[in-house]
Amino acid sequence: MSGMSKIVKTISSITFPLITIYGLYVIAHGHLTPGGGFQGGAIVASGCAMMLVSYGSIWIVSRVKEKNLSILESLGAVCFILLALLGLGFGAVFFNNFLVGTNSLFGVVPAAGSGLADINTGGVIPLMNFAVGLKVIAGLFGIVLVMAHASRTKGEKK
Amino acid sequence: MILEAIHIILPILIVAAAAFAVLTKDLIAAAIAVAAMSLLLSLEFYILQAPDVAIAEAGVGACLTTAILVIAIKATKRMEEEA
Amino acid sequence: MSRRDIAAVLSFSIVAMFFIFGALMIHPFGAPDETGMDDNIITNAQTETGANNAVTSVVFDYRGFDTLGEATILFTAVAAVIMIFRRLNK
Repeated sequence: MSGMSKIVKTISSITFPLITIYGLYVIAHGHLTPGGGFQGGAIVASGCAMMLVSYGSIWIVSRVKEKNLSILESLGAVCFILLALLGLGFGAVFFNNFLVGTNSLFGVVPAAGSGLADINTGGVIPLMNFAVGLKVIAGLFGIVLVMAHASRTKGEKK
Repeated sequence: MILEAIHIILPILIVAAAAFAVLTKDLIAAAIAVAAMSLLLSLEFYILQAPDVAIAEAGVGACLTTAILVIAIKATKRMEEEA
Repeated sequence: MSRRDIAAVLSFSIVAMFFIFGALMIHPFGAPDETGMDDNIITNAQTETGANNAVTSVVFDYRGFDTLGEATILFTAVAAVIMIFRRLNK
């Protein structure tokens, strides 16, 4: 899949950081505002797919290897299951929220009924959001990248 | 009052976009119609006060699915053939 | 009208009948059935999980197994797609 015109490339280069920052914001504030790991990861992967469509898969493949994306996706899955197993180790059950109430990282409990948007709350929920976000970014962008790169010769022939 | 009107108009537009996607012979136009249907569906989710589902639907349905469909159409043929 | 058309009309009308009766028998909009679970989660989610967003506290804490299943589905899909298309990328 070859690239598009210079106008499209310029506009994509300008809007790609904005989309990425918004998606990372949705991931990082998943325990405070609507959204979470899956939604923010889908937004970031959409921005990456926009870069892929505008610059062409050959330009992207020379910078991002599909093998590394696969490793990142597996890393996200391993982090997610490891956090769940840590709940089994520190607490009582699988998926136990062992960080909440400890006043350490992400361990502060907000007052009941307060709408205070303190990011240092939530226990293991933000860490799980990061793990799932990494997994979704790498997975969805890997799918689109592999499919686009597989259809590159057919697209250039016409 | 205006919310009820939106609740009536949006499903009609969703069904119209879906019917256009089924009936048209141009597959690129069908992919764009599916994207429009996903966007309208995410708007419907938003006014039904489900913003989580709306964000997921707008990200996956309106962008990534369209990209995958357009890539697949580019690798095959654009116009649908009579069976 | 062939036999195939008759079968299509019959199956379509049966499925449509199910949908119409399901839509007629749905409980009224904005008035869910009485359950104890949602009230419990709405009351206790903020103090038990520390997250202000109750939906995320359900997705990642109370119903973590659902998210684990979703992650498994995504992992399987990505592995299958990359396995199929890796040969074409060489």
